Amino acid sequence: MIDPSWVAGLGVFLFCIGLWGAFTRKNAIIVLMSIELILNAVNLNFIAGAVQHGDATGWVYTAFAIAIAAAEVAIGLAIFLAMYSQHETISLDEVKLLKH
Amino acid sequence: MEANELAILIPVLPILAMPVILFLGQLFNGNAKWKGFWKEGGTIATAVMAIVFLLSLWLIVGHVSAFSEGSGDDVVTDVGNWVSYQLFTEHGDMKVQELGFGMQLDHVSVMLLFVASFLCLLISIFSLGYMNTDKINENRNHRFYAEFVLFCAGMFGMVLADNFLWLFIFWEIMGLCSYLLIGFYYERPSASYAAKKAFLTTRVGDIFLFVGLLIMHAEFGSWDFAVVFNAANIGAADAGLIKAMLLLMFIGAVGKSAQFPLHVWLPDAMEGPTPVSALIHAATMVNAGLYLVARMFPFFAAPAMAGELGDVALLIAMIGGITAFMAAAIAFVQKDIKKVLAYSTMSQLAYIFTGLGAALWFVNNGHDELAFFAFGASMFHLFNHAMAKGMLFMASGSVIHEMHHAHHHLEHGDDEHDEDDDHHFDAQDMDNMGGLASRMPITAIAMAVGSASIIGIPLIGGFWSKEGIVGSAWKAVMYDGGGLFIIPAILVLLTAGMTGFYMSRMWFMTFAGKPKTEVAANVEETTPFIPIPLVTLTIMTLGGILFAGLNFAGWLGENSTHLSLSHAPSHLWHEITHAFFALGSDGHIDPFILIITWTTILLSMVIGPFYAMSLYGGKLAKGQKAHWSIAWIVVLSGKINSSYKFDNSIWAESGLSTALRNRLYFDQWYDALMLKIVVPFSYAAAWFDRRIIDGVIKGIEAGSQEASRNIRSLTTGSARDYIMMAALGTLALFLLIWGVA
Repeated sequence: MIDPSWVAGLGVFLFCIGLWGAFTRKNAIIVLMSIELILNAVNLNFIAGAVQHGDATGWVYTAFAIAIAAAEVAIGLAIFLAMYSQHETISLDEVKLLKH
Repeated sequence: MEANELAILIPVLPILAMPVILFLGQLFNGNAKWKGFWKEGGTIATAVMAIVFLLSLWLIVGHVSAFSEGSGDDVVTDVGNWVSYQLFTEHGDMKVQELGFGMQLDHVSVMLLFVASFLCLLISIFSLGYMNTDKINENRNHRFYAEFVLFCAGMFGMVLADNFLWLFIFWEIMGLCSYLLIGFYYERPSASYAAKKAFLTTRVGDIFLFVGLLIMHAEFGSWDFAVVFNAANIGAADAGLIKAMLLLMFIGAVGKSAQFPLHVWLPDAMEGPTPVSALIHAATMVNAGLYLVARMFPFFAAPAMAGELGDVALLIAMIGGITAFMAAAIAFVQKDIKKVLAYSTMSQLAYIFTGLGAALWFVNNGHDELAFFAFGASMFHLFNHAMAKGMLFMASGSVIHEMHHAHHHLEHGDDEHDEDDDHHFDAQDMDNMGGLASRMPITAIAMAVGSASIIGIPLIGGFWSKEGIVGSAWKAVMYDGGGLFIIPAILVLLTAGMTGFYMSRMWFMTFAGKPKTEVAANVEETTPFIPIPLVTLTIMTLGGILFAGLNFAGWLGENSTHLSLSHAPSHLWHEITHAFFALGSDGHIDPFILIITWTTILLSMVIGPFYAMSLYGGKLAKGQKAHWSIAWIVVLSGKINSSYKFDNSIWAESGLSTALRNRLYFDQWYDALMLKIVVPFSYAAAWFDRRIIDGVIKGIEAGSQEASRNIRSLTTGSARDYIMMAALGTLALFLLIWGVA
């Protein structure tokens, strides 16, 4: 059996990759993928905790998180489609709607 | 019904009449009946003044007869409470304090009430003739009458008030009305300037007075005469603060009574209509300052203050002496008939201040008898001066009015008023008059009697009181510690002679000699109403001998005495021997006072008028005859003029004369002082306001603008930046928690 700390370590590694991707990439879809990575990093963290403590709550949360992440991806892609139809781009450097 | 119960109507009726006159005046402005019967409000004003005079007379007669029957006492009538408040006493408990209005009647306030109500009535009658026959006043006389009645109300209220707060309130009402009335012809820049000057100059004094009154309240916890004049309360108060309080109050009196150095407003106040000059300079406002100083008497008389307040009394006498001399000197060279009278007023008020200073000094040093004498003489002089000066102003108004009309008749053949035309002819300039004795007999006689009273010609009005003031000032010199009284004493003695000169000069320039202009040769005394007050006051002034016989001065000096008709002949004899031969009550003749008396009489009656006659006298033109009572003066002046005329051009063209003509450059000095001190200070204050006070606020504002602009640049609108910030923030938070843990 793998030690839960290795699982948590993988989670941290994936989180960092996801964060780096979310900060640096211009393409909105890649940013969405990076965010999915972050979510999965968190899932791994839950699982590591569940194994460590022998508690099923972590497993249950992970199942919920995967389901909600799927819904979130659907909404995210829908937003990008709408964004593309409005601005003809999905480059995050060119779309700055979060002011005013 | 008792007179005291109705006494409150004396100030209240005129106050109520003011809005009535103003309202009706606005409503019926230009209406023929309003101008005819109602005299644009003059009828209402006169009726109110008549009622007030009768009420006052009732009150006064009651007061005088109560004293004569031996049951008299100072009457204090409580009218009502205005405001209540609580004060913490020294012991920590609360004391309810009330600011009520009450009326106090004693000998001095009774005398002033008579002066004010009597003169206000006469002046309102005079105004009916003077104001309503001049086209320039048409359709705005109601404004004059409304302000006039309020002014009178101010004086009545001030005289009757039984506490210093109400005295101050009515004092300020008078200040306001004097501003309004001096600026009656507000379209003239000089009039509006004079109004502002009068208001601001008296305000300087008023501020000091108010601070003095605040000290009074801090020391006594009250403004009521009954409390602050109580000898035990004065004993419990701090002597140094009482001294400061009296000095501050005296400055207020100096401003109101136009004494050096706050005298500059009075000559300019002549810009108002002549009835206003009579009102301000004789009946009301200028007497207010004297009344205030007279009211200080109990402080000086209190045993606790004995010997402490000599300096204050000396200062009062000193200011009086200086002003008397200076004003008389300036009056020497004035050409404007009203300006001569204005300076004469200053000079005579200064006499009263000197007398009061001597009285206060005497009582403070324990010479009660002499103090009562000096006090009585001062108050009697106030009475005589008010009567004579009121008459002189009204007589000068009569002269000016008739000169004005004669001028318009000559120029245009009608009474049409032409504003531009007035600038070429000055109806107040004595160089345009001369020889009016035959053309205006009533005015000429009135003016002669009034001048005689002011000069102090024996047996007429002012003589009785002036002798007392001069004598008191000299007596103070002889007492221990009063050596410095020599300065005011010499000054008032010299001023007596100077008064003789400038008053005679005014009379001869106006009434004697040949007419100096064609206008003066065509003057006629025809305006209605004007002679009534002149004749009344002439009789009043000549009746000074009766007042002297009644021991009026002694009555005013000491509150316990009474007027007695049966003792009048013997007392008159006593007064005459006292005045002319310095015969004291102990039967001994005081040689020193005898010399002073006769020097005064010689200076004022012989030397002054002699020089005036030799310079300005002259016979009337051929065919003109003056009334017998003044004809001999004119003839005498003509004789002296032809035999003793001398060349005074050295004096007239000297620098001193120029300086006097420019009123000793006081206005220039004050203006320069303003420019050197007040204006730079104002600029500095404006700079401080702009840079420091506004600067701090503006700095805060600009700083927050700048900061918010910087913070705003963080708001890029890009989602990634926000995520970055959130991440960094979280990291910082973790670091913080770890660091603390």
